[in-house]
Formats: sequence, structure tokens, C-alpha cells
Amino acid sequence: MRLVPLNAFAATTPMHANAAIIGVGQSAYVRRPEPQQSTHTFMRDAVLAALADAGLGARDADGMAVASMSLAPDTAVDLAWKLGLSLRWLLQDTNGGSSAMNMLGHAVRAVESAAASVVLMVAGDATGLAGYARVASNLNLVTQMHLAPLGHGGPNGVYALVTSRQMKKYGLQKSDYGHIAIAQRAWAAGNPFAVYRAPMTMADYLAAPMVADPLCRYDCVPVVAGAQAMIVAHPDRCPQGRASVRVRAHRASFNYDSQEGDGLATGIATFARELWQEAGVRPEDVDLASIYDDYPAIVLAQLDDLGLIADHDLGRFARREIGERIFPINTWGGMLSAGQPGGPAGGLNGIAEAVLQLQHRAGERQVKDARLAVATGYGMTMYRYGGTAAAAVLERLE
Amino acid sequence: MTPGVTIWRCERCRAALFPQRLLCPHCHGDAFVEERAHEAAVEEVSTIHHMLGQADWHPRHIASVRTAAGPRITVGLTDDCAPGTVIDLFEDGTAPYGAARK
Repeated sequence: MRLVPLNAFAATTPMHANAAIIGVGQSAYVRRPEPQQSTHTFMRDAVLAALADAGLGARDADGMAVASMSLAPDTAVDLAWKLGLSLRWLLQDTNGGSSAMNMLGHAVRAVESAAASVVLMVAGDATGLAGYARVASNLNLVTQMHLAPLGHGGPNGVYALVTSRQMKKYGLQKSDYGHIAIAQRAWAAGNPFAVYRAPMTMADYLAAPMVADPLCRYDCVPVVAGAQAMIVAHPDRCPQGRASVRVRAHRASFNYDSQEGDGLATGIATFARELWQEAGVRPEDVDLASIYDDYPAIVLAQLDDLGLIADHDLGRFARREIGERIFPINTWGGMLSAGQPGGPAGGLNGIAEAVLQLQHRAGERQVKDARLAVATGYGMTMYRYGGTAAAAVLERLE
Repeated sequence: MTPGVTIWRCERCRAALFPQRLLCPHCHGDAFVEERAHEAAVEEVSTIHHMLGQADWHPRHIASVRTAAGPRITVGLTDDCAPGTVIDLFEDGTAPYGAARK
């Protein structure tokens, strides 16, 4: 879909030249963790995988960024301690599905400013189903006080109402969302880590049991246990023969409308113009997108906010660009098929997939000649919808 | 059960807010008066058929409603109300509910 050569912008575009993503890794994703498995052990597995992928040892890491909804009472420094890491830069992000993208921005700036030379980003959760229900009922005080006592169903109930609103505003049919779930399931077939890889048809989707009208089972992410990790360092430290991935632009938004809107625009709408301007490219230039997919309605909302949907015709985009796989979105299967090990790791999974695609290491799901990607995070269901969002434009460095 | 739902009105700019804030998001005023919102119109509804980690779950109805005072809030519904229905609001502790007006 690229219309303008990247080098046309290179002379005028400010970007991070001394920091890049050089390695990624993940743990296994499992629906039901074994008794000896915990958030900590999944994070350890992901950390080891990412370090090995980058050709580094644990002693090389002098910075770490951590996000989890089930690490408590431990915090980031406890994880550093248990991993045997002595650090000079440490961050813990608590913004749910946008945590990973927030951490990427912080990590790149940390390496650029020499606050750290190798930053290890890690996110993971292993709540189990009942544990996730407890997390979902206690996301914040407002949820504890005003939503959980209703039996609101956690985020499923919140986004059921948002989805109904979106259907009404844009004239969408239930099947329009089905195209997202089905396309992502097809992508998941090429991802050995995905928990659901069997093909799904529209008949399967429409026959699925309702969870919270209009959301059916396939509109809701399967809760899994697992972790993701990523290494940010100077591009020169990238393993030989592998392209590193540079962040051309990064933006974030927090509490963009005080929960007084309709939730059909996300915080991305507040910074999309700046994001593309700083990146020096246009939405139609990207080869693929990793869009935080806690719910299909939020995928469409973010794509629209990014300027990827022509004429704001969400239904046509779902049916054609996504349904016919004209535009590659969530090529690892997304959280809807690969699983959601908590929002933080789910968000990091999307970034990691963009990295693998840009490094041309995505195996049978590889997007041909991918050079430019956009990735997002969205999260923290504060009351009526998510209040945080972040995005980056990522580029393959030859 | 207490009739109505508490909302907070900024003393400076008169904005009506739910849930409670520390500063008004419109004028950053720090003083609020409590009011009761007794009526709302249903905008979207959902039935929660399934709850993670709950084997013995009975479906419940929730709705996004627009209160007469202005703020949109999420309530539990005691009846199967369609969008457009006007409901009476009440509180059970800190949880807001609505029932179809008889």
C-alpha cells in the first residue's frame, strides 16, 4: 500500500537514530497454567527467549520496563532481583493494554539519552480465569464501586455497550465484526504460539454463544497465561544479518475526554496527525498494522482514528480490507485467536509481531517485503471505555 | 435501596458529573454539591450471559443511560428495557440501577 518512498522524508524527519528493537521473545501461551507456573515464571521464560533472540546475556541488560496485572505484591524491582539483574534504569507501567506501547516510548528515549544501553521490556500475566475475573472487577475504585456490584461482566459488559453504540452510529451488522475474528483466525494458523488456530467460518462466528449482547464468544479475547519480552538497544547491537526495527514516531494519550464522550473515538484521535507527521509517512504507506484487539469494535475505532479507513466507512473496511485480507492486520492472530495474557503482554505481542514482520522472520504469515508498520495499544477501562492509548510507526532498518 | 442516583455538580461552572471527581474536568473547580438524578433514558442495553470464573451465573441486564441531569452512566436494569425507555433510577449502596417507569 506504500505510495511514497520512505527516503523522500528521511532528510526532514526527526526520529530515533540510536535506539532500535533488536530482539523479541515469548513464553508459551496456555489456557490453564500448571501449579508450578506463575506470572513470574512466564516472564522469566519470555526474558530468556528475548535475550537469546538478541544474542545477549542477562548481564547485558542495564534497563528494564515491566507491566503486569498479576505481579503484585511484587513490583518491577522484585522482578529484577529474582532475575538477577542489576539495573540503572527501571520502569513499571500500569496502563493495561497501552502499557507495552508506553514502555516502548520510554525505552527508546532511555537508550537515546544513554540512561540505559540495553532495555529489557517484559509483560505477562497468569491470573487463571477466576483470577482474571477478580482483576476485571477491581480495575479501579470506580469499577469496584459502580460497576462490579451490577454484575457487569467486566470489560465484556462495558464493550458490549460500546459495540452497540458503534453499530448504531455506523450502521454495522454483527457479521462486520465477524470478518475481523475470522481473518485473525486465518492469520493465527501460521502462529505456533496461538491458542486457537483452527479455521473459523462466518457460520461458526454467527452461531457462537452470546457472552454479552452483541458480543459473542469470538468477540472476546480468550484469557491465557503467558508473557512477552523485547530488547531495545543501539541498532549496532542487532545480531549480524538481521535488520533492526526503528521507531519513526511514537505518541500516547491519557484520559483524553474524561469519559464524557461515546468511546467510539480513542485517544489515538488526539495525536494521529502528529504521529504521521513525525514519522514522515502517511497511513496508506504502512505495509501492516498491529492494532490492540481487546474487542473488534475497538479495532475499527483505532483504525479509523489512525486515518486508515477511507470515508470513515467502517463496515466496508471490515468486509473488504480485513475480510478479504487486502490489508494485513494482526497477523499473529491478534489476541482474539492467539490469546490475551493480560492486556500488557497482549499489547507487547502486537509490537513483537510487527517487529518479526519487519525483520522478515514471520514464517508462513510473512507479509511480503514489509518495511513499515503501525502498532497501537489501548486500555484501562476506567468506566465507560478505555482511557489510554498509544501508537508507534515502526520501520525496518536495512 | 435509595431513590435516585448521586451526581456531583461543580459549584463554579455547574457541570454535572458522575462518578465523583477531585477537580471539575471543565473548569478545574474543587467544590461540588451533591444532587440526585431520578430519571434517565436508556441508550444501549446488554444482557450479561456469561461471567468468567462463575459457574452458576444468572443473566443480568445492564444499560448505558443518559440521566436527566446530563451525565451518561452505566446501570443495572431490573427489567428487560429497550433503548428509548425512560427509567427511574435508584441506588443499592454505591451501585446505580434503573427500573422501567410503571
